[in-house]
Amino acid sequence: MIDYHMDIAVNFKIVPDDQMIKPMGDKLVVDVPLKISTYDKNAIEEAVRLKEKFGGKAIGITSGIYDLKSIKEALAMGLDEVVFIDLKNSDVYSTAMAISETLKQYNPDIVIFAEMSTDSGTSSLPGYVAELLGYPYVSYARSINIEGNKIRVERSMLTHIEVVESTLPAVISVSGEINTPRIPSIKQILEASKKPIKQVKFDNVSPKVVIKDIKPFVINRKGIVIEEENVEKAVDKLLEYLKSDGVVLG
Amino acid sequence: MRVVIFSEDEQFFNASAGLAQSLNADEIIGVGLKESKAVKEMILIDKLDEDGIVDLITKTSPQLAIFGNTRRDRIIASRVAGKLKGAIVTDVLSLKLQGEKIEAERVAYSGMGIAVVEASLPSVITLASTKYQPRELEDVKVQKVNLPEGRVRVVEKKESGSGSSNLLNAQIIVSIGRGIGSKENIKYAEELANALKAGLGGSRPITAELKWLPEDRQIGLSGLKVKPKLYIALGISGQPQHIAGIRDSRLIVAVNKDKNAPIRDYADYLVIADCVEFCKALVRRINKGGGGKLLI
Repeated sequence: MIDYHMDIAVNFKIVPDDQMIKPMGDKLVVDVPLKISTYDKNAIEEAVRLKEKFGGKAIGITSGIYDLKSIKEALAMGLDEVVFIDLKNSDVYSTAMAISETLKQYNPDIVIFAEMSTDSGTSSLPGYVAELLGYPYVSYARSINIEGNKIRVERSMLTHIEVVESTLPAVISVSGEINTPRIPSIKQILEASKKPIKQVKFDNVSPKVVIKDIKPFVINRKGIVIEEENVEKAVDKLLEYLKSDGVVLG
Repeated sequence: MRVVIFSEDEQFFNASAGLAQSLNADEIIGVGLKESKAVKEMILIDKLDEDGIVDLITKTSPQLAIFGNTRRDRIIASRVAGKLKGAIVTDVLSLKLQGEKIEAERVAYSGMGIAVVEASLPSVITLASTKYQPRELEDVKVQKVNLPEGRVRVVEKKESGSGSSNLLNAQIIVSIGRGIGSKENIKYAEELANALKAGLGGSRPITAELKWLPEDRQIGLSGLKVKPKLYIALGISGQPQHIAGIRDSRLIVAVNKDKNAPIRDYADYLVIADCVEFCKALVRRINKGGGGKLLI
């Protein structure tokens, strides 16, 4: 039986912009503007494409940091609704518990995540949620084909590519290669402000991992700038420096 | 304490065993396709079925499960943690036991930061480093297990054949970013890589988005993490996701037209030049000097 109606949930995370995070002394400055985590935009894009293809609803789930601008951006990209889970002191465990509890009310056919976030970057949430929901977990998808309740996914394992098959409902994590996220039009941005944002509170579990400290991961580099009138001279200068480091080329 | 370890990569398997030994765990159980003398007990499986491995490891009720850092390792780790409803800490650099808890240092913020975390047991961790080395143990108990077919079936495997795994062991790597300008210009980087007997890799935009190089040559946070003695970054601006993959390089040379490119903060030498002109000049210099001689 081919069912052309499909309900999709996509998880996205609001994070400090990783391009603006800088070390300052022995501290890492993370108090910087917020954004939707880079690959989560690919996840939202894929959810919207599946919705456009199969009909149904695409719901966004986000937890942790609340940022209206980022949530509106996700809605403008084409999500129908966003659920914000108010969750303090979260770790993978408590976030996965909160997301799976929330998802049970929506009963989606597909739950989409990105391969990793840019802040904690654990890549652990989709697999964890899949186990809590009892769904199969298909990871690092670079293309998704759906026929009836069968899914066929090409996934990147870095040194090779695998084609895997499974059945819906399923949790899928997508890689950054799967698509190019759309930039919403002015009209879509205006429409987004009419779409619902729901807030739910989840405070009945405590995290199992607690962050004690965050420090910069500094590797001291020389930071020498070589600027010469022509490239030949620059190459000579570089080779001299490398020689003093014990590296001789040519 | 019962520690279970798994990695499809031999180096990470050994590092996981080394960490387990350093914790003086009384039970160290390895799961894998090959026998190992680094563990006290070895469960030999017949295939790398993810569902089967997850169930097998969960059933051993580990207090600590240690995994390597390949994509499959990470997938299995996250699922074991979910099944155990336990703590998970990824990209661990170092770890110690503190009573009923572990304290670990892990990579965070795309490699910009290190987070010190405390986690309750049972804990699942993945390692970012292979620094822990095991010693050989005697009288390893071996048990063979045939795994059932899981719900996610691998129906096809495509080897890329582009030799990406060579990058992981390369002494010198020439790497390309958007600043190379065009697909045609890549030949100059290839000539330089050949002259230096170096591996050729690229940033995410070059490999995954523009596809000017095979995707499995991607160096960075979500790609390969490399550790050459010399890394030459051609026209790479220095996004944190790229830096995360090259931190372990001994020396980093960046070539960029922009003096203020962010890579300046992560490079030993920043050469202000056009990448193509730089490649041509360095190749000429190497050929004049007898060619390809490298002393490190």
